[in-house]
Amino acid sequence: MATTTATITLSSSDLLTDNLSLSSTMNLYQHGTTATGLDECNYHRANIPTGTNFDLVQDSAALNTSGANYLYIINKNTDVTDYVTISVRTEVIGHLYAGDWMFVPWSDATTDNQSSTDQTGDDSSIEIQAFTHECVIEYALFHVGETLVDAADS
Amino acid sequence: MATTTATITLSSADMMDNALSLSNTATLYTAGTNTGITETTGLARKKFTDASEFKLLDFGLAGSQMADVTADKSAKVYIKNINDRGDGTKYVAVLINSIEIGRLYGGDWMFFPWKGGNDKDVDIDASDATETTLEYVVFYE
Repeated sequence: MATTTATITLSSSDLLTDNLSLSSTMNLYQHGTTATGLDECNYHRANIPTGTNFDLVQDSAALNTSGANYLYIINKNTDVTDYVTISVRTEVIGHLYAGDWMFVPWSDATTDNQSSTDQTGDDSSIEIQAFTHECVIEYALFHVGETLVDAADS
Repeated sequence: MATTTATITLSSADMMDNALSLSNTATLYTAGTNTGITETTGLARKKFTDASEFKLLDFGLAGSQMADVTADKSAKVYIKNINDRGDGTKYVAVLINSIEIGRLYGGDWMFFPWKGGNDKDVDIDASDATETTLEYVVFYE
């Protein structure tokens, strides 16, 4: 098992009349365990062109079964007007502007059990669409296992 | 304008052959600008023993702070489940318009941009009726 931690620090000296300083650290554990860490990870960098809503992280039966997956996404663009939308199924979660990051648990709650090359079903894949300009995205998925795709030419 | 920053650090010494150490800081701006977000709910705390879905952030509550969060604006949400992890099976599901995003187990936190708008409430659905305490903050314009 692996030990992976995620720490957030929120701070501001002038948003409120007193300083805001909040910090929290969590361990990335597997579902149904008290201290067994997630031990698989995908780390990607991708250029997202404008005009199309893409599957960024594909759903799978294995991800759906574990439910305890964690996703980090950052928009590496520098023009503050550039943004991507991040969606699950029919819902846009929010807009990730240049320099913004997000870290969320992702349960992949709805899977259509289709192959990773079939994008047509109603599933909980993480979707992304760039607006204004192509956006450079880095993202990491921490998980307990993926459904691997059979090689078609073996 | 205010300057508010959110920093994440992801680290692991043993998940892969080499250590993972990733850190980034975002400054919280209004949508598409270099102007800092100037409004917040402040840190809020909510206890509940309800195992059915309820609205944590209710866009439809007239006159509320959350009614200001719409798609053409910028909003960031932090939520933490401050319960103990227990046996690792209890969690709260976080949903938008009843579509599940993910599950916060005891000790877990999340930080995400929130589109908001009509019916795009942030809902909570606990896995059981164990008393659960959440802390949350919304930064918005």
